[in-house]
Amino acid sequence: MAKAVKLRKPQVERRGPSKTSVRLTVNDELHEISVEPRRTLLDALRKDLGLTGTKKGCDEGTCGSCTVLFDGKPVYSCLTLAIECEGHEIETIESLAKKGQLHPIQQAFIEQDALQCGFCTPGQILSIKALLDINPNPTPDDVKRAVSGNLCRCGAYPKIVQAALQAARQLSKES
Amino acid sequence: MPRVVKTQVEFEGRFYDEYVVIEGEDVPPWSAQQEFSVVGQPQTRIDGVERVTGAAKFTHDIQLPGMLYGKILRCPHPHARIKNINTKEAERLPGVRAILHSANIPKIPWRMGLTLLFDQTLRYAGEEVACVIADEEEICEDARELIEVEYEVLPFVLDPLKALEPKAPKVHESGNLFHNEPEIYERGDIQKGFSSADVTIEGTFRTQTALHNCMETHGSVALWEGDALTIWDSTQHIFGVRDVVAQALGLPKHKIRVIKQYMGGGFGSKNSAGKYTVMAALAAKMTGRPVKIILDRHEENLAAGNRPASIQTLKIGAKRDGRLTAIYHKSVVNVGAYATWGGGTTGPTRRLYACPNMKTEDYSVFTHLGPYSAFRAPGYVEGTFALESMMDELAKKLRIDPLELRLRNYAESDPATGWPYTTKGLRQAYHRGAELIDWQGREAFKRKYSTHTKKIGFGMASQIWGGSGGPPAYALVKINPDGTAVVVTGTQDIGTGTKTALAQIAAEALHFPISSVKVELGDTQLGVYSPLSAGSMTLASVGPAVRVASEEARKQLLDVGAQTLEVPREELEIEQGEFLNRRTRERTPVKAIFEKLENFMIIGRGARGPNPEKKSVNTFGAQFAQVEVDTETGRVTVQKIVAVHESGRVINPLTITSQLEGGIIQGVGFALTERRLVDERTGLVLNASLETYKVPTVQDVPEIVAEMVNLPDPEVNNLGVKGVGEPPIIPTAAAIANAVADALGSRIYDLPLTLDRVLTTRELP
Amino acid sequence: MKNFEHINAPDLETAIALLQEPSAKAIAGGTDLLTEMKDRIQTPALLVNLKAIPDLKFIKEDEKFVRIGALTTLSDLECHPLIRERYPILAQAASLAATPQLRNAGTVAGNLLQRVRCWYYRHPDVNCWLKGGVECYAEEGVNARHAIFGSSPCIAVHPSDLAPALIALDAQVRVVGPEADGELALEEIYRLPDEGLRERMVLGPADLIAEILVPKRPESSRGVFLKAMERATWSFALVSVAVQIDFDGEHVKNARMVLGGVAGKPWRVREAEKLLEGQALTEELAQQVAEAAVAGAQPRAYNAYKIPLTKNLVKRALQKLAG
Repeated sequence: MAKAVKLRKPQVERRGPSKTSVRLTVNDELHEISVEPRRTLLDALRKDLGLTGTKKGCDEGTCGSCTVLFDGKPVYSCLTLAIECEGHEIETIESLAKKGQLHPIQQAFIEQDALQCGFCTPGQILSIKALLDINPNPTPDDVKRAVSGNLCRCGAYPKIVQAALQAARQLSKES
Repeated sequence: MPRVVKTQVEFEGRFYDEYVVIEGEDVPPWSAQQEFSVVGQPQTRIDGVERVTGAAKFTHDIQLPGMLYGKILRCPHPHARIKNINTKEAERLPGVRAILHSANIPKIPWRMGLTLLFDQTLRYAGEEVACVIADEEEICEDARELIEVEYEVLPFVLDPLKALEPKAPKVHESGNLFHNEPEIYERGDIQKGFSSADVTIEGTFRTQTALHNCMETHGSVALWEGDALTIWDSTQHIFGVRDVVAQALGLPKHKIRVIKQYMGGGFGSKNSAGKYTVMAALAAKMTGRPVKIILDRHEENLAAGNRPASIQTLKIGAKRDGRLTAIYHKSVVNVGAYATWGGGTTGPTRRLYACPNMKTEDYSVFTHLGPYSAFRAPGYVEGTFALESMMDELAKKLRIDPLELRLRNYAESDPATGWPYTTKGLRQAYHRGAELIDWQGREAFKRKYSTHTKKIGFGMASQIWGGSGGPPAYALVKINPDGTAVVVTGTQDIGTGTKTALAQIAAEALHFPISSVKVELGDTQLGVYSPLSAGSMTLASVGPAVRVASEEARKQLLDVGAQTLEVPREELEIEQGEFLNRRTRERTPVKAIFEKLENFMIIGRGARGPNPEKKSVNTFGAQFAQVEVDTETGRVTVQKIVAVHESGRVINPLTITSQLEGGIIQGVGFALTERRLVDERTGLVLNASLETYKVPTVQDVPEIVAEMVNLPDPEVNNLGVKGVGEPPIIPTAAAIANAVADALGSRIYDLPLTLDRVLTTRELP
Repeated sequence: MKNFEHINAPDLETAIALLQEPSAKAIAGGTDLLTEMKDRIQTPALLVNLKAIPDLKFIKEDEKFVRIGALTTLSDLECHPLIRERYPILAQAASLAATPQLRNAGTVAGNLLQRVRCWYYRHPDVNCWLKGGVECYAEEGVNARHAIFGSSPCIAVHPSDLAPALIALDAQVRVVGPEADGELALEEIYRLPDEGLRERMVLGPADLIAEILVPKRPESSRGVFLKAMERATWSFALVSVAVQIDFDGEHVKNARMVLGGVAGKPWRVREAEKLLEGQALTEELAQQVAEAAVAGAQPRAYNAYKIPLTKNLVKRALQKLAG
């Protein structure tokens, strides 16, 4: 993936407790925000960058609605401090569809009806994306392990697994 | 001309007579043989793109310029009186804009007058004491910590049986028994019934308090523009929120607009406005800025409602051939500090089987715990667990196959009213389910796959529920000059796929492709009333109104088309969104007509007609469970659930299986892992987080085989549909419990079936 | 979360110096610390971020050890070929911990140093003994997840999955800091809190684990890690068992067995280990060892199930090693 911006080395000076400038690379774009050190990546995305596709379901690392990719790996953005994301690449649900074209995982979620309320969906999709990036040919068990940290209270799980498998087939056809 | 009719409306297993206004004529129901192009076909969600791209705006996502945040200070005691609140320190914190509490907010009655918006008496740990409004949520939290509250700590009671004792601490002045009396139902002569029985069995069952844990927590955003208030609320009932806020603030309803486009689950916990809704509105007024209050996960699990715990005693009498002669069912439900209605669990007992003699008693008891609210088939999940467990015990005692026992007591008409059913597909569900799980082959399967330490078991359970829907529900269908159509209703899509199903109905009735149909809902300003999205009633209430409106719009379109094209009306029809001249086979796009008519817009109106009189409308189903119990670790693994349900006509086979699977998975959680834990000495909830309150993960999900008996109901409404939101959760825990009892050879009478219970119930070698 | 100052420590020395400031706290993965900070159970004034320190994230081997850098994540551990091949119990323990997202963020050292999950300790409205209060609420309360072994005014259990596995592997930790410096057995960093010191670690606030040293095992060594959970995944251990046995043919040369979820620290069952030594793994022996493993266990009102559960897991672990 082409890097749109140069990553900057993390600063080593003491910052806070008042607001401080934090540079975040989100979806290949560099943003500079002014926040307190206690700002979580989740709140920074939602409040400071207006990227509300990442959801707050528990704010304590238990539900997975806030899942984003941190250097390509899924993490809970509610348990990540924004100030500690400098020099790293963050990917959110908003980056998946390119030029109005849905990502195959998104398309598969619609076709399989792998969602009901849709609140956990962005997190589920990102966990699956991280899986398919390293394992293009997953088994149902691989998928289940990959989304085992993403709770869905509506119970879309069986279809989420099906959607991931469909997307994997689609992606391997494309490549 | 509008007609006022009296109709019976069922909601959450209860019946109400209502006067409603019906406008226009209903249309005859679609016949069972009707051929469809859109209805009954699997249809992906019309708002799927929004839901998978993060574009869908939930209440949590509403960000307004200048918006402030609110956070609620909650009582740390199960019962206390506020002696003094000191907010001085908190107010001094930069960024704090207001602090609302009992000393500075007028007395606004809440929970039918049982308490106030800010009450000085607090009746459960987690009840609202004050609300801090500040520029940032973090500041709210800093300030909240600085509020000094002096409490007079009062004696409390958590156990419903203790709460019924005369000297128990009172939760409310009026006493601890809801309505001051049990809800009693009787039919036949129970004494005679038991004395004519060949066998009687009795058991006491306990079910736990379950927490909804919608992924999107409850919350509201309030914005004043002049004297008009707009509220975004994560709610199942926009009009209900409007009405509650109007009453609380003394505002005319037309000054309040409530919006809910997307919501992250409700499951019954979002049927009305919350205190946070009114607090946001008050705070926004006080500060002149929009205010957002979102509960955190812990608050959600303390204050946003629950499926209340029950203690149920059942006694069943039967003839040797299995025919029931009498049932006595007593249920004590711990409804916590507040309840809008009783927590009755005896509904299924009254209505599932043809049993002539019966008595049920429901005690709903107030305690100093978080309030009860509806949770997907309230009462029926718990009641079905007890009843269907007892039926299996009876089957065991009589050495009759459990399924056969149920068939021998099959109710051909409603045993509670004597009325015929409009349709009843339970027998088909039993047979199809038995076939899919290979019920007859289960003993052989068990022998083949059980080991010394891993025991396989099979169980089944039945489901009855309402789901008729009913009036009032209204819809408009507009046809735009470009030949697209817009369905307008005041309902809400809580994730069930309402929007898509309504689009299918409109497309079918208009003869339009579904891609030309848009659905607008979730906004009271649209002005077309629809009921709350609960009680499995949405589609069966709103759908028929949409069909009437669509049929009317299509008729108007044909009238206009015939005159504009100058062809006889009867030669013209609409196909795939175009005029088709039946004689010449000539096609004309709808928009070509409108071009001649400038900006004329067709508006069709529709209302939901009344329910059939003296007929029972019910939904039915059967579920079969296959489990494996590891006798060394106590773990129960549900390997497979077969579910066959009958809810009338299926509009969307794709989304209906989502509903079925979702209900079953919640049922698995209720059966195995979910339970609220409360410390008896402090009255504090110990597991208000999603790490400690165990909802099912993807790895807890069994293989699910879910099917519908597609049995269009010829009488219930013009679509032949009944609801399906709640039915699939109803029998799951019962079927699993029966399977576990089958595997272990002995029964655990309490839910959930956690490994500690399995390990300590069964003495290990 | 209460606000704080934040600094990215450039190296260990600076980190240790900074951590000696009052109310300073080290943060690595943050998956445990931030949850406590959000509930204001911990309110540090300064967070010293260790993640930017170079050369603390590695898995490599030398002659005697496989060395695991403190900042290695649980995912790294779970997936690393060296760990999967040589120490399957460690890979198993890592893979059964928490969720993928938490394993991607959480570090090995952080996992070993995490705080207890006791719901009274974690409750913002309960000032329990461990938090400086006067009593352990679990003792007379809902103690379903609590200890059956060990004597301490706090009956919360040690929650780590890695610790029992690493102790079964006889791992050491290299610690740097003002109060402890050098290598010590992992087992020895844990203690049961008492009136004299309400701490579960012997390490001071500025002492840091730099790396974990896992001794190389003979070819004949085999291990098993089993974990009982309330649901299929994403749960702390109700009980876990880590067993590592070096075999001499059919016979046990030496064995290490450590239990998780049953005591205030990872619980080594030496009596059970002794019973195994020199013996062939039979069904009968497994039963005996299982009994020995729970000898002295003291159930409380709601946790008696842990005794049969522990016994059966031990038995099952040994069956797996025999089969």
